[in-house]
Amino acid sequence: MILLAALLLGLLAGPALALGLRRPYRLPDPRHLCLVPAAFLPQLLVVYLPVGREMEPVSAAALTLPVSLVVFLIFVWLNRRIPGMPVVLVGLVLNLLVITANGGWMPVSPETASQLPGGASPSEATTGIRVGDKDILLRPEDTRLELLADRFLLPEWLGYRAAYSLGDVFAAAGAFWLFASPPIMSNLNGSNNADD
Amino acid sequence: MNKKFADIVIRASRIDRRHIQLVIVIVSLAMLILGIGAPLDGGGPTRIRF
Repeated sequence: MILLAALLLGLLAGPALALGLRRPYRLPDPRHLCLVPAAFLPQLLVVYLPVGREMEPVSAAALTLPVSLVVFLIFVWLNRRIPGMPVVLVGLVLNLLVITANGGWMPVSPETASQLPGGASPSEATTGIRVGDKDILLRPEDTRLELLADRFLLPEWLGYRAAYSLGDVFAAAGAFWLFASPPIMSNLNGSNNADD
Repeated sequence: MNKKFADIVIRASRIDRRHIQLVIVIVSLAMLILGIGAPLDGGGPTRIRF
């Protein structure tokens, strides 16, 4: 939800900026777009569909996220010249590192998860089980690269609770920049051309 | 029936190709962002349970 919010904010900000700068709004034009559904399909099967949700964390399902993220990595690298893509790339690499280091799932501590609606108290939590879409419950001492795990919480005053990682912050910022930057870049290019 | 079908075909042929490309790009980039992120959503219709 927080990633979609960043994307929607970018989609609103981009055309609004274009209007303000009196520039036409053009969406980014990525190459090799077919890689995206190819990378997303395994996640759709294992993470989002009910059949995949019931799969054990230590199974073939554990390979899904790392493999999918590597395909996404190829796509982002091929499109790294698009403004915003390098930021997305940083987020992707950070999430890929922590997910691969922790058996194919994003770790979240019982303490962090307990602060989300529906979460049990840390003492009652069973570690090693899947929680949410892509997460696995792990104690901080059992987590590799704990700094990159889902360890941050949205402020309570927002009225929406979610735990997110440093990689998610970069992914959200990159998503916003992907959609919001085209009029700014076009304006800068226009100014440069005018200087010539 | 044939008239209705012809009407649908005419309407479909009027859809601008650029609009379809626009939708494909937005959906693909949304898939990219949802695919690379891994937040644990707690508030909303799907609550976590453990």
